[in-house]
Amino acid sequence: MQILRVENVSKVYGSKKSSKQYMALKNISFDVNEGEFIGVMGPSGSGKTTLLNILGSIDKPTTGRLIMDHRDITGLSKDQLAVHRAKKIGFIFQDYNLLETMTLKENIILPLALAGYKTRVMENKLNSIAEDLGIKAILDKYPYEVSGGEQQRAAACRALITNPKLILADEPTGNLDSKSGKDLLELLTFINREYKATILMVTHDVFAASYCHKIMFIRDGEIYNELYAGDDKKQFFDSIIDVLSVLGGERI
Amino acid sequence: MIKLSTLAVRNIKRNFKRYVMYFFSLCFSVFTAYTFFALMENELVSNAFTYDDRYRALLLAFGIIIMVFVMFFLISSNNSFIKARKKEISTYSLFGMTNRKIGRLLFMETMIVGLTALALGIGIGIFFSKLIAMILLDISLASFTGDIEFSIAFKAIYITGIIFLAIFCVMGLSGLRVINKFELVDLFKADKVSEGNSRGSITALALSLLLIGTGYYLASIKNYFLVVAAIPILVLVISGTYLFFWGGLPRVLHLIKKNKGRHYRDVNLISISMFTHKIKTIASTMATIAVLSAVATTAIATGFTLYSSIEKNTYDTNGYDMYFYGGQEEVLDYIYKAFEKHNVRIIDEYTTQRYKCSPEVEPIVVEGRELTFGQDNYFRVYSESEYNRLISVSRSQLRPVYIKPGEAMFGYPGVINDLEDTIVGKLLSFSSDLTIEITSVTQKDILTFGAFYTLVLNDNDFNILNHSGDIIATDRNGDPLDRVTVFKYENPLKSGDLNADFIQILDGKTGSYRTAYNHYNESLETFGLICFIGFFMSGVFILMTASLLYFKQIMAAEEEQHQYKMLRKIGLSTEIEKRVITKRLFPVFLIPLLIGIIHSVFAMKAADTMIFSNMLPVDNSYIVVLSFSAVMYAAYALVYGIFYFITKGQYSRIVK
Repeated sequence: MQILRVENVSKVYGSKKSSKQYMALKNISFDVNEGEFIGVMGPSGSGKTTLLNILGSIDKPTTGRLIMDHRDITGLSKDQLAVHRAKKIGFIFQDYNLLETMTLKENIILPLALAGYKTRVMENKLNSIAEDLGIKAILDKYPYEVSGGEQQRAAACRALITNPKLILADEPTGNLDSKSGKDLLELLTFINREYKATILMVTHDVFAASYCHKIMFIRDGEIYNELYAGDDKKQFFDSIIDVLSVLGGERI
Repeated sequence: MIKLSTLAVRNIKRNFKRYVMYFFSLCFSVFTAYTFFALMENELVSNAFTYDDRYRALLLAFGIIIMVFVMFFLISSNNSFIKARKKEISTYSLFGMTNRKIGRLLFMETMIVGLTALALGIGIGIFFSKLIAMILLDISLASFTGDIEFSIAFKAIYITGIIFLAIFCVMGLSGLRVINKFELVDLFKADKVSEGNSRGSITALALSLLLIGTGYYLASIKNYFLVVAAIPILVLVISGTYLFFWGGLPRVLHLIKKNKGRHYRDVNLISISMFTHKIKTIASTMATIAVLSAVATTAIATGFTLYSSIEKNTYDTNGYDMYFYGGQEEVLDYIYKAFEKHNVRIIDEYTTQRYKCSPEVEPIVVEGRELTFGQDNYFRVYSESEYNRLISVSRSQLRPVYIKPGEAMFGYPGVINDLEDTIVGKLLSFSSDLTIEITSVTQKDILTFGAFYTLVLNDNDFNILNHSGDIIATDRNGDPLDRVTVFKYENPLKSGDLNADFIQILDGKTGSYRTAYNHYNESLETFGLICFIGFFMSGVFILMTASLLYFKQIMAAEEEQHQYKMLRKIGLSTEIEKRVITKRLFPVFLIPLLIGIIHSVFAMKAADTMIFSNMLPVDNSYIVVLSFSAVMYAAYALVYGIFYFITKGQYSRIVK
């Protein structure tokens, strides 16, 4: 089932009158179906993060439509968008973005608390997810007391707790060592499989991308290529490298 | 190469938001200092005061107290300001600036801001000097009619300048010490590590409440050692307050967080944890504010209560617009002429004989000391109808009495503590076999006219005792006692010229005389000045503390900015954001204010026991005191509220 349709989305930075206009996204269209695990790759400045921000309704497209759950969200007001984000989208960021003033537990249930859930309901949801994600033992710790990998797990937990339609992950392994990175990718795969969560992940990392079902390559604000995973993970990995070398991106 | 001064000016511009409140409170303290010194110097004003040396001493003493406070305050806020700019300063250091040079840069900034504030504060002081002097004279003198000329007090400018320059220099040196403590490596350390989270301790909470509670208890009991207990009470309450903010409040917050149903509801989760996170860095500030608010509100509440009850107090101690005893034949004609001359209408007057008696009294023991009523401590005695006639001329709130045969009302002056329980039921025995029981007492005694205690008897009893020689109208030498004349006339507290004539007429020609005008004006001078000083002191306290709070919250806003950004990403709407900010900032302002006011309520209770209960002619003087104080608390809270809204506005703008 289709949960997100992106129709001719463009994003222009700089004022319309000025000559210094910069087009970050050019007429991008694609669909996201339920249960997909999509990777977005591309060199720096290709528009990956802009795309992610627009999908997450943090930023508004200059033209084009974004239909999520049969609803065009481009016309919504700021506050309506906030509600939309809280209900439909889960975020995982490169630098975790946990509130350092709260324990992991408080961080995770925060979206539910803001939505006015009852304590008992929140704790039930938390307990089952925290157990699955293996962070039950450290729930009462503060972010600065645990490792980056654990913080990112907690962030994933927070993204998942509202049962969002779509989880957006922005370089989730970017700040992690290779072991923690691998653990997190397996966690995302687990979430994708067991929770039927739809995930869209922006990454630089070929290894991380190889966990996805489908990869979209972006260059200069346009979709350059798409790649689907087969049964052979090694072969998928190699073909990603092939596309990237043609793409000619630096920092890969 | 950028010049240091250019950099300094640029830094000030960039830090304008942080500087602005600090700047205003600095201006106000300069203004206060200049005003005090200028008023001390102003001959015209000080000559208007009867006790001009007392006037100067009061201004000087409080001026010094305020300056000492301002100095400590400026140094500590400057240091925390430097600490807040640690990153920037370390960057200078990284690019090879020596500490001395950085110190010079910061000193230059301090000086630019300081000198501007100094100039502006003195400028405002000069501009308003006439107005301020007029206000002081208006609240301190009932009938000042002269004109204060606009003047520039050069000596005051000079003194104010020297004092503040000295303070700025100390600030610069102490700032240099802070810079020297910085480690460059700190710049590169992640600053995500919590610096202020504290769970507090239940012991600290219990102990702080115990300390404050003991202080409150000591302040509220009616003991005679209250003056002696003042220092221990202060020590108990102040240490308790600091302990409460250091260890107790974190504990309370921790307990609130444990109550999941409440803590997990809505935005509490964010606000409370943000507040808890900062508690350590702000605890001392909050405690200091609580203590200073208590001092400031108590000072203005006391001043205002004293000031507001001057008129009541005047008639409570004086009773009459004017009275004198002795010399009636000589002065009365002149008195009437004076009334005519100043065109003041006499509302009522009465002349009567003074009587005294010295009956045997059952022993009365108060506080282990026996009250004696001998030849010296005789009673001024009245028949019921005389008493009622006399008080009808008075402006005090006394009501007519009805005394049954064999009974008496005992009157004693307000300065003595409550005697009612010990004295009611005591018997008075006279030589003529008549025994009279004291059945009621009054502390609002204005009819002593030279004696210490009064008795009011039934008319018939009075006549019997007068015949038997128990009640006499002669003194111990057998000379007849003077008659007393009381007056009630129009506008007694405003008729200064008439009063001056009275003094000329009565002085030396009568046994004794009192005018309400004199009493009223003397009180007004003292209490008006105290009120005036109290206002400025509270002004300095409130501006300084509130601006420190503002500053700390602005710093916090800069640190918390990214948290709001993150929250917005996960779906925090602007409406919820407003609620988060409100709940985040409100306690920071409310808790110290509330604790300060509660402290003050108990301080007023002690003040009531020591001063007001003897001053105010009502049964429950504390209620009156509290109602006067409430006006000042409300005013104080209002100013704090304004600061709260300014801070909230600025905080919201920063985290946007």
